[in-house]
Amino acid sequence: MINDKDSQKIVDYIQNFARKQSLFVMAYGTGCGAIEIPATMTSRYDAERFGIRGAATPRQADVLLITGYLATKTLKRVIRVYEQMQEPKYVIGFGSCTINGGMYFDSYNTINALEQYIPVDVYINGCMPRPESVISGFVKLQELIQQGKADNGKKYRENLEWYRTNQKKIIKNWKMPDYNW
Amino acid sequence: MTELIKEQHLLDSLTSAFKIKGRVIRDRRVEVFADKKMVSGILLFAKKQLGFIHLAHMTCIDWIDENKFELIYTIWSPIEKIHLFVKTKIERENPEMENIDSIWDQANTYEREIREMFGIQFPGLIGEQDFALEDWDEMPPMRKDFDTKKYALETYYQRPGREDAKDVRETISERSGTKVPDFAKKYSREK
Ligand code: SF4
Repeated sequence: MINDKDSQKIVDYIQNFARKQSLFVMAYGTGCGAIEIPATMTSRYDAERFGIRGAATPRQADVLLITGYLATKTLKRVIRVYEQMQEPKYVIGFGSCTINGGMYFDSYNTINALEQYIPVDVYINGCMPRPESVISGFVKLQELIQQGKADNGKKYRENLEWYRTNQKKIIKNWKMPDYNW
Repeated sequence: MTELIKEQHLLDSLTSAFKIKGRVIRDRRVEVFADKKMVSGILLFAKKQLGFIHLAHMTCIDWIDENKFELIYTIWSPIEKIHLFVKTKIERENPEMENIDSIWDQANTYEREIREMFGIQFPGLIGEQDFALEDWDEMPPMRKDFDTKKYALETYYQRPGREDAKDVRETISERSGTKVPDFAKKYSREK
């Protein structure tokens, strides 16, 4: 059945449909934007009707939300979390700080563009984004998943060297385990 | 100024005991300016004799024009209900200050932070060299002569498009084909 091209399409469709309806978000807040997550999750905006809900550990999560400015110290932890996540994995950059540094663009301690260090699927702008825009970002991600365009885990694996050089430029004391995904 | 009696009394007892200058800022706020060597004595005296049992805060200011660091100890007396600021200035070259974490344990945290952010050494201070930063080997970042913008430009990738302060209203209105409303025009940077 798998050899047949058309049936593979159907399998992909069903697979992507299932994936996009259950996005488990890693419960890991950085920066000030994380304060919008409770508002998004609770009854008023109720993100769970889109299948968005929390996951306790990286290995159970699908989505890594980077909710704001990222200190170099936190970047180290974020990379570890991202590398522990199972594929398929998605990253949402949340707030202007992840896009171009936001109001911390001249800080000695925060990175200015997230996609230099880990691949990002969707950016949500705003400082900070309201729950509506957070949900619209998730809907955008769901579209990408349905179209089969969200395969950044693979991209990360293939371009690992480029990402590593960027990461090591900032994290001077690199003492991290290697994962053999 | 009948209300400031207890503040004046506190100031008098400190100035007569130590020959230091000071002033009453307002009710419940008193500051004294002390020599570097006298600080621990004043703090100990205030704690043991005057009832200032709580170290509320300890901070540092970089007076780069005077070539001095100023250290400020804020202590609080729950009986008198007065904040006492003990201020001292130390040289900016090879700055060193007495370690007071034997008087208050929590001073250890503040001193570690000041050591990391201003590079002031406290001999005998226990604790990791890193406090909030990790693997920092530049100049201590809170010093006035550390150029944080230059450092950020050199170290981190800068996304093109924010080199100058562009007016986003114009860009957005062009993109969406609408006009900037009149009330918003007076805030425009492009005059
Ligand atoms: S984008 Fe704004 S709200 Fe979000 S982390 Fe940056 S400063 Fe905070």
